[in-house]
Amino acid sequence: MREVYVAGIGITSFTRLEYPLVEIAAYPAMMALKESGLRKIDHLYAANMGGGRINGQTGLASAVVDNLGLTPAGAETIENGPASGASALKEGFMAVASGMHDVVLVTGAERMRAVNNLEATDFVATLTHPYAEYIYGVTLPSLAGMFTRLHMDRYKVTPRHLAMVAVKNHGNAMFNPFAHLHQPITLEGILDSEDAATNNPVVADPLRFFDCCPVSDGAACLILSTAEVARKTGKPMVRLSGVGQATDTLCVHERDNPLELPAVRGAAAQSLKMAGKKPSDVDVAELHDAFTILEIVESEECGFFKKGEGHLALAKGETGLKGRLPINTSGGLKAKGHPVGATGVGQAHEIVLQLRGEAGERQVKGAKTGFTVNFGGFGNNVVSLCFTREK
Amino acid sequence: MQLDILGYQCKKCQTISYPYRTLCRKCGHDAFDPVPLPKKGKLLTFTQLFTLPGDFEVNDITLGIVELENGVRMTAQLKIDAPKMGMAVQGKVEVVRQAGYDKCRGMVFYPR
Amino acid sequence: MAVDLEKLLRPVDNPALPFPPKCMTLASGEIMVVRQVGREEIPNILPHIEPLIHVERDYYDIVAARLYAELLGFYRHRVQDEYVLVAQIDGELTAVVNGRRVDSKVGMSYHTLTLRRGLRIGSHAFASKMEYHMEIMKQEAVLVVAESPIGFRRWMIEYELEKRFEVPHELGGVPTYALTQALYQKARGKLIVGRRPVPVKLLAKAEAAILPPSDPPRPPMDMLAATRSMSDPTGSVLISRRADELRAPVPAKKGARHA
Repeated sequence: MREVYVAGIGITSFTRLEYPLVEIAAYPAMMALKESGLRKIDHLYAANMGGGRINGQTGLASAVVDNLGLTPAGAETIENGPASGASALKEGFMAVASGMHDVVLVTGAERMRAVNNLEATDFVATLTHPYAEYIYGVTLPSLAGMFTRLHMDRYKVTPRHLAMVAVKNHGNAMFNPFAHLHQPITLEGILDSEDAATNNPVVADPLRFFDCCPVSDGAACLILSTAEVARKTGKPMVRLSGVGQATDTLCVHERDNPLELPAVRGAAAQSLKMAGKKPSDVDVAELHDAFTILEIVESEECGFFKKGEGHLALAKGETGLKGRLPINTSGGLKAKGHPVGATGVGQAHEIVLQLRGEAGERQVKGAKTGFTVNFGGFGNNVVSLCFTREK
Repeated sequence: MQLDILGYQCKKCQTISYPYRTLCRKCGHDAFDPVPLPKKGKLLTFTQLFTLPGDFEVNDITLGIVELENGVRMTAQLKIDAPKMGMAVQGKVEVVRQAGYDKCRGMVFYPR
Repeated sequence: MAVDLEKLLRPVDNPALPFPPKCMTLASGEIMVVRQVGREEIPNILPHIEPLIHVERDYYDIVAARLYAELLGFYRHRVQDEYVLVAQIDGELTAVVNGRRVDSKVGMSYHTLTLRRGLRIGSHAFASKMEYHMEIMKQEAVLVVAESPIGFRRWMIEYELEKRFEVPHELGGVPTYALTQALYQKARGKLIVGRRPVPVKLLAKAEAAILPPSDPPRPPMDMLAATRSMSDPTGSVLISRRADELRAPVPAKKGARHA
């Protein structure tokens, strides 16, 4: 296999974007092309989940490749639920590593705010099993709520731990100009004050409003290439060194142990192994915190902390910007935003910034190894990526 | 009329799958016998959900995962005022969602 | 003569208890003051409502346009028994709600407009209005209509309001719902927050000036502006273009596209 490097990156604000989906997808690609100085690519992957249903746009990749004037390069749309972004990066990785292509552009884009939040919730709920879950009114927050209750019971995770994840990630997002929520929140405001219960109402008991990610529009792009091409860009060399993916049962109730996320464990172990790294080598991680509980549990499943101790490490500040292993420096899905198809690429974008040393006020000093976990469905299709900074 | 939710018992290894799957998860066999799932069970976890798809005309519903007497688990609606983990529940097949003109039936659990 | 005519045109307000100011802590840790404003403060509010008439998203245009008219009607003495509450953070205007007393027993809720989003400010402001009707004026019912799907879900379903479709609402022929004392008492614990009295300094800051909203909703970029300007129903395109010429450009959000 050939080694795969990042030749260029681009991102839009994760917020509400009133542009056609195609332009949202093309914008970060334009930034990445400009940054890398490339004018020709071999192949384009567009990651998107809801274009056909929400925006009436199918075949996104064909539209984007034309919009960017990159024809006749090959182009494909990748849909893997909220893990579409990381899946598209994985496909791009395979294309370059296999020797089939030298330069591959991966753009993830989503425009969910085109519909109101009830429809957006319903759209994401179509990820669940059609007649064993969906018809009962199951939405992703409800699965997360039931999962949280089990963890509170078993490992004594408390609402305070969950709120600490939200406060940390909102705080990180204040340093990220592209984040959706630039809104500092405090434990006092969402947990302790007498008005907190009304400020932070229950969404899926025991999860509350500030435990859930916002519905965002947005797009992000990475250009993957061979070492030769990447070196010419003059940017610090960041290698996509590990890729892992694992799946689990579609129905959450069929899992052998409903407290665990074995797909996260499998995907993380694979990507770290491919990169030749241990969990303790990771300097900065972007985890899929669509719900605050997920950041805690994923940090355990990835091997950063022992099972049942993720919330303790969080409480000690180990996952903060100045901690031992900063998690979700971009603000995470919680505060940076969650445009489903773009999320995986957005996470990779943040890691590349960190490894290049371009993350500004939220820079993790001397970060050499970065890691992402991108979740499709409720833990049933997980893609994990590992990036390393090279000389 | 007695309504049931069906599980699918593998003809080779006897494992019951719910919901239906084309190949058995345990042994990979492809033939199943439909069997009615028991109605009694134990509540594993639950949530009171406020973010509902737009076609629900109620403020919130309660959902839970129940482990049935034969060990099969199912996700279902609960009509229980103060659910507790581990409590005994009794199921009944009822309309759980009105999707346009179609009525969707599913299991609803009550306290036992 | 003119003076006498004006006298005829002006409805006389019935006496009512004022809304005692209250304050609450938001998710951000900031403290928001909700207080009643009289006619004299309306001119300080209108300039912050006017730009929202041209925000064609989330029903801001229709709510802002109607609220503007209602506030003007209040200011110029054309509506009887209207009241206006404002919510402020450090003086900054964050929400405006208004309504009217139909008689001593029944209230009529008009509009709720939020100028800073994401902190449930609109929810607090609407709840304050209901509190005013139910606890301070001790009315039996408040008539409510929703103009947006989100409003409908939030109020009609969350409060489980009673249907009063036979009663026309002053905002138009939309189905009327009623919040009764019984429903209010049921929802009270979940929705009504706030403390009284407001610390003197906080209240003084709020009363000193109504400051402009720091991050008000802005009009979406209209991709079809060029074709729409031919038959621009609300004049938004023309006005926003003119506004661009007249005012200094709005500073773009950091990192926003087309920054």
